[in-house]
Formats: sequence, C-alpha cells, structure tokens
Amino acid sequence: MTALTSTAPVARIHREPFFKRHHRPIVSTLSVLCFLLLWEVAAMQGWVNARFTSQPTQVYKAALVIFAKDDFAWHCGVSFVSFALGFAMALAVSIPLGLYLGVSRRGRLFIEPPLMALYTAPRIVLLPILIVWLGIGLGSKVAIVFLGAVFPIMVNTMAGVRGADHRLLTAARAFGATRMDIFLKVLVPGSLPAILMGVRLGVGRGVLSVVVGEMFVSEAGIGHQIMTYGQAMQFNNLLVYAFTISLFGYGLTVAVRMLEDRIRSWRPSA
Amino acid sequence: MSQDVAASGRMEIRDLSITYRKPKSDEIFTAVDRVSLTIEKGSFVTIVGSSGCGKSTLLLAMAGLIPRAAGSITLGGAEVTKPGPDRAMVFQDASLLPWRTVHGNVRFALELQRWKRDDIDERALRYVRMVGLAAFADYHPHQLSGGMRQRVNIARALCVDPDVLLMDEPFGALDAQTREVMCDELLRIWERDKKTAIFVTHAIDEAIFLGDRVVVMGRNPGHVREVIEIDLPRPRTSAMLDSPAFVAYRRQLREYIAADLLALQMVEALV
Amino acid sequence: MIALIRRRPAPFCALISFAVILLVWQMAVDFGFVKAFFISSPSRVAFELVRQAKSGELLTNLSVTLYEFIVGLVFAVVIGGFLGLMASWSETIQHILDPFIWFKYSSPTIAFYPMFVAWLGLGEPTIIVMAFLFAVTPIYANTLSGIKNTDPDLIRAAVAFGARRHDLFFKVSLPGSAPLLIAGLRLAVGRALTGVVAAELFGAAAGLGFSMSYYGQKLRTTEMMASLVVIMILGVIFTQGLGALEARVDRWRTGPVR
Repeated sequence: MTALTSTAPVARIHREPFFKRHHRPIVSTLSVLCFLLLWEVAAMQGWVNARFTSQPTQVYKAALVIFAKDDFAWHCGVSFVSFALGFAMALAVSIPLGLYLGVSRRGRLFIEPPLMALYTAPRIVLLPILIVWLGIGLGSKVAIVFLGAVFPIMVNTMAGVRGADHRLLTAARAFGATRMDIFLKVLVPGSLPAILMGVRLGVGRGVLSVVVGEMFVSEAGIGHQIMTYGQAMQFNNLLVYAFTISLFGYGLTVAVRMLEDRIRSWRPSA
Repeated sequence: MSQDVAASGRMEIRDLSITYRKPKSDEIFTAVDRVSLTIEKGSFVTIVGSSGCGKSTLLLAMAGLIPRAAGSITLGGAEVTKPGPDRAMVFQDASLLPWRTVHGNVRFALELQRWKRDDIDERALRYVRMVGLAAFADYHPHQLSGGMRQRVNIARALCVDPDVLLMDEPFGALDAQTREVMCDELLRIWERDKKTAIFVTHAIDEAIFLGDRVVVMGRNPGHVREVIEIDLPRPRTSAMLDSPAFVAYRRQLREYIAADLLALQMVEALV
Repeated sequence: MIALIRRRPAPFCALISFAVILLVWQMAVDFGFVKAFFISSPSRVAFELVRQAKSGELLTNLSVTLYEFIVGLVFAVVIGGFLGLMASWSETIQHILDPFIWFKYSSPTIAFYPMFVAWLGLGEPTIIVMAFLFAVTPIYANTLSGIKNTDPDLIRAAVAFGARRHDLFFKVSLPGSAPLLIAGLRLAVGRALTGVVAAELFGAAAGLGFSMSYYGQKLRTTEMMASLVVIMILGVIFTQGLGALEARVDRWRTGPVR
C-alpha cells in the first residue's frame, strides 16, 4: 500500500562502526590503562620517587602478601562489624523518624531545624567528643557510622513521604481510607524508592565514617591499617587496604542500586 | 517586475522527501514523501492532518532544522539548508529563557542575529507592545500564563523581520478559550505586515479560520492529499464560524481526514 | 505579632527548638543528670568562647580554618568547573575522566591522606588539598550535568534563530545551568569545610579542627564544645546561605502557571 521506497537517493542502511558504538567503554578503559601504564613507567624510570607514589606492580605484590596473611580478614571483620552495627542502628532510627517527619508538619517545624544544623555541619568533627564519651574502641566507631548514615536516610525518607503523588492520596481518600491506611498502604510503599536512595547515600557516608574513625584512633580495622602503613610510608600496603574498602563500599552501593531498580520497575510511572 | 517581487518571497517545495532512521534498528522511515508545494508571498497557509502525517516534519525542514533526503526547498530562489534570518519559527512550546524578562526574551532573537546594539532594545520593545504585553515587559516567563508566553514567542519571531513565519501548533498547549482569543490576536498582528505565514495545526476550525489555503496532509507516508482554497473575506471574524461556507469547508476537511484514518484502520486490520 | 507567627511559623519554631535544646542541656548538667565533664553546659561554653575571643585564640583558629577552606574551595571551583566544561564540550573527554571520577566517588578520600602528608608534609598544603579533593566532585558533576541537561527546547529555539555554538553556550547553556551550578556549590561548600576540619583533626598546628583534637587529647570538653559550636555555625551559615540563593534562582524555573 504505501511505498517505503523513494525515487530519490535515500540514506544507506548501515550499522555504525564498532568503534563509535562502543565509544564509551573503549575510551574509559583506555584511559585507565594509560594511567596505570604511566604510573608504572614513571616509577620504573625514576621520574617519580616510587617510595612516595608506589607502583601498580608493587601494589599487586603487596596485595598477594596481605591477602595471605591472617590479620587481613581480621581487620576487615573489625571494620565490617563497626559498619554493620552503626548502619543497622541508623536504619532503625532514621526510617521511622523520617516517616514521622514526613507526615507531621508540626514535627517538622520543631525537629527539622536542629536536625538540619547537625546535617550540614561536618560530623567528622564530632570524633574527639565521641572518643571522650565512648572510648577508643567499638563504641565510638559505631557512633560515627551511625551519625554518618542516619541523616541521608532520614532526609530522603522524609522527602519521599512528602513527595508522594497527590493523586494517589486523593484516590485513596475517595475510597474511604483512614489516615493509618493511607500511611501504611500508600505513603510508605510510595516512598520506598526515595528511602532506598537515602540508604544508598547512607552506605557511602557510613563507609567513609568507619574509615575516618579508624584512622583517627583505633587499635584495629581497615582505617587503622591505612594509617599505620601510611605513617610507615608503606604506600603499597596502604593502597591495598584503600582499594579493599573502596570495593566494599562500591559493592554495597551497587547492591542497593539493584534493589532500587527492582522497585522502580514495579512503578508504572515516575 | 512584479513577478520578481512575488518570486522574492515565494517558497517553493519540490519533490521533498524526508526520512528518519528508526532508533535501534536499521529501518528507514519515510516521514515526508515527495511533497510539492508553492507558497506565495504574503499568503497565510495552514497545514492540517492527523498525527503522524509529517506536517511538523515538513515545517522543520522549511525552517532548515532537519536535513532532507531528496527534493528541494527554495525561498525567493535561494535554497533552504539551514536556519536563516529569512525564516522564523514559533514552536508549540514557547521555549522562553526563564531567566530573561519578556523584553529580554524578544531581544534574544535580535542578539542572535546580530542586529545593531543601539536598535535592539527599542525594536524589541516595539514588538512587545505589538502583541499587547507592554505592561508585562519586565515580567519573567514563570509569571505569565500560557497564552501570554506564546505571545512573547510570536513577538520574538516577528521582530527579526523574517520573510516567512513558521508556526508549529503554537496554540496546541492552550485551553480552548485562549486558543480562540489567540487566533484573533494572531490575525490582528498578521494583518499589519501580512508576512508569509505557514501554520501547522490539527484543529480543523483553526485551519479554516486562519488560512487563505489549507493543505491537507495524509499519513503513511506523509504526503499532500489536497489543497483547499478558503474563500472567506478578510478580516476574519468569529461570526464566520457559523457561516454555511465555513461549515462546508469543515465538512470537506473532516471527510479527508476521516478517510485517512479509515484507510489506516483497514490497513491495520489486514496486517 | 501573633499574625506574623501564624503566617511564617518556621523561624519561630526553629528558635523555640534551639532554645529548648539549650535549656535542657543546661538543666541536665545543673541538676546533675549528666556530669559536666561529658557535655559541658551552655553557660560554660559561652564563657569559654568569650575567653577565646578575648585572647585571640578564637580569631587565630577561625582565620586559619577559613583560609584553608577558601583556598581549597576556590581551587575546587576553578579546576572542577574547568573540567566540567571540558567534559560537557567533548564526550571523549568525559569518557576519559569518567573512571577517575567514579573511583573518587567509590573511595574514601581520607584514606589517601597519609600519602599527601608524605608528599606535602603536615599542615596547610595537605589540608588545602584535602578540602579541594572533598569539594571538587560535586562541582565537576554539577557543571557537567547542568550544561549537558540544558532544556533541549531552549536549544532548539536558539538554533532556529541561527545561534552558533558559542551563542548557545554563553546565552543558553551557561545561564540555564545556574541552578545546578549553585546546588553543586552548596554541596561543595559543606564538603570543603568537612575536608578542612577532618584534615586538621589529624595534623595541624592551628585551626578549629586542630583545636578539637588538641583539647580532645586533654579531655577538656568545654573547650571542645566551644570549637564544635563555631564549626557548626560556620557549616550552617554557608550551607543555608547558598540554599537561600539556590531557592531564589530556582524561582524562575517553577512558578505559578495560571
């Protein structure tokens, strides 16, 4: 019926060349490889002092040594426990509090200002005080992780509740839903994506907090190792631990992201 | 000589074809298939058709914003290949810079086309007045209603003194009453300079009310089905909407467009 | 007066909130619920601040911290902004920078602090670098995002009027990205302050973070609280100040549509 042909010359059917289509991963990978190569060569040739900058090969060798040793697992475990405890407490506090603040205007008016003051201030600076209160062991680490993670989760939870689709609320009310119904069946599920995003941000902050806390004063843990090796100028070892914690943080973030995507696919519209 | 003058503003479209490559596949989709049209200087032409008939695509090609696969578009004898000061476009979305005032937005077009610094302010203000927004010259877009924003859009297009005014469903986002008001306004403004105007719409009444000629486009692929001369006197008034002539045009256009939709349904039933 | 409170309750509620907190804090100590050693008290902290102000200690610490903060921030804005512009201009550059930005996001920057100390020594340079590193990422990300995500309708309209590349950049993309740029600046400011203070905790000779660490080792809670209060006030002023600017700029994006 209709002609998709035309008498005039038409753009040829062709596929974009391989290079153009995969432009992004190719360039990015090349970039990283070049960087590693430059680093290695610079250290080898003496352009930079390898004692200060380490070398990819040195880091690799150090990694093998470290992974084989017992206390690598021990230090990772210590850090993980601090992180897990602090993060769990943060979840337990921030989600209910965030939900409450999301629905209660009065609560917001009074509680939000001091909370925001705490949120915008650098919480790292609370470390010395926390150490005075809780000592140099697990307590202060858990506390700093808690403080790091609690605010992003709470703020995002609150925003999630407040940003609920008004149309859903109106529809629910039209069907005679009670306030509790609306809260449990519309607001909470509706704010799940925002909560998860807050959790993802909180994970990043929590990991950072545990590292800082352990670097500042600690007897064990990844941060402690980083600081010790740093002061001994064994940067290859330091970098192994730095990459380890980066990987851990990244892995957690990816896991939460996957959860976020799963949830988002349930929603038909944004 | 008068022929030269006429030719200078005439837009000629010959065997124009525009194709797209479908995203994520290698198929070619023909949006416009061998369209030929002549638009005389100073005429108001409306283009109407159901969605997907390529009317907006055609307009974008006239503006020089999309490339063509075959055929030619000339304005006053010169080929149209990219945007130029001889054509100005009015989009459905007003696309006003939110950080500039009404006056600033109209000036924007003049700045882009490198008019003389000293003239810009005054000229922009003149066109702001022309569209009836003198009192709102220092307002920002977010303070204006949809109809007002479109007026700024129109002022912006007119102030660069184009030979052809291209309008892509400019009133599409407005409510019914505002649309009527804007149609009257548009004709009032147009009557002053009688610039060549090409107006795309899917509202049949609008097409008849505004145009000297109505180009009916059909879809799959986009092509010109029919061109209807509108023999209603100018200036147009809303009283004409009920006149028998108008009703007859409306019926005629309805039939064309309905036939198009029907044919489409038949094809889809067969497939 | 009551009408004023009714119309804009937020500032008053905030005041009441802080007042209650201070009151509870003071009473908890005065009535012996908590030992003053642990949390000091508002009155003690206030006196300490006055003492520090008079002795010049406050001014010294404040100026050192602010200096490091400003220098680090300026570097972050200049370098981050420049890189963001480059990345928005060329996809290749963006892809080259991507893995490093991503790495920076995933890794705790502070972990590299000892390396900077080895390169630059304890003290100002390292602290400034820390502030820079903390602040540069939101600036880069928001500059890139702001310019790339300019409203395509505006771009199309400008192109229809014959805008060329530099027209588009200076007259449409740049002003259009103002809200995101300011948001990025707001984040960067908070981060830069955190970076300065964190680095000062570890190794500095002066500054508010140093003060915390120094008095912390001596278990002098009152002095610690004093420095803490100053830092918190700084953080709030900077972030809220930029937040207000952001809100003003945002006004012309969303507004009443009649």
